[in-house]
Amino acid sequence: MQQQGKSSGSEMEVTWEDQQNINTFSRFNNRLHELVDEIKFAKEKCDNLEDAGNELILADEEMVRFQIGEVFAHVPKDEVETRIEEMKEATIKSLEKLEQEKESLVLQMAELKKVLYAKFKDSINLEED
Amino acid sequence: MSSSSPSGTGDDLSERRGIPAAKFIQDVETYLSQSSLDSNSALAFHQERLQQYKVVEMKLLAQQRDLQAKIPDIEKCLEVVGTLEARKGTGEALLADFEVSEGIYSRACIEDTDSVCLWLGANVMLEYTCEEATALLKNNLENAKASLEVLVADLQFLRDQVTVTQVTIARIYNYDVQQRRVKQVAPTAITAADS
Repeated sequence: MQQQGKSSGSEMEVTWEDQQNINTFSRFNNRLHELVDEIKFAKEKCDNLEDAGNELILADEEMVRFQIGEVFAHVPKDEVETRIEEMKEATIKSLEKLEQEKESLVLQMAELKKVLYAKFKDSINLEED
Repeated sequence: MSSSSPSGTGDDLSERRGIPAAKFIQDVETYLSQSSLDSNSALAFHQERLQQYKVVEMKLLAQQRDLQAKIPDIEKCLEVVGTLEARKGTGEALLADFEVSEGIYSRACIEDTDSVCLWLGANVMLEYTCEEATALLKNNLENAKASLEVLVADLQFLRDQVTVTQVTIARIYNYDVQQRRVKQVAPTAITAADS
């Protein structure tokens, strides 16, 4: 775990509450890394759908090969447009939710940092390396 | 390790699905005298515990990756069956391009049909009606998601134990360093008093 450094040899009492705070901070930090990856993935998906929509407007064929599962089904252009719109909306919604969760997590972690630094000062390292 | 049934909050468990909990030490000195261990043996014990936790963590992470790959697969299957079902009434065939081999695609004309075949694994494929297939796939999806949740909870519990163990190792080390410092100061104080 990159976040927790060793204490610098001073006599620090660690209570169960402190331990729980450290555990919680660690959980939050792991969840934050996961969220960053998920947000990146969702943004890419959004961009791809955007590009697909644009390509669709430029295409002049009536039948478009739209990927459903592992195969490409021949679907009329209008239906594809509708589907892409729906997928875009769903992705944007989930992206918003992820961003909100990330913000709240960052706030909570800042709070915990204050508490832990107040108690342990130099003996604890909560920064990313 | 006695198998206590995992119930209640994670703090009260002595173990969870085979993973022993790391006991929180209130005071290092009391712990060392009670277990009649010296600092080095205690450090070695906790280091070994940490290694064991790491091994279990690797295993759980691998299981998590597998499940996370399985879930989109099941969702894709559900999408295809859904599309076939939607076309059922219309009577028109579905033209689909599928991959025969890497880079080679072929066209399939899927007639209006009532049944699909599902690959169940172990070289077994069964034919189902669209409704049965949808129900089976949905069931599999639910199970996979539930397993993933349990796995994530296990990983969180494990990571907590890892953190507790790391903090314990740090505290025992500091205690040891402190003891050595005290021992170094004491003889010099005596020699200063003698001279």
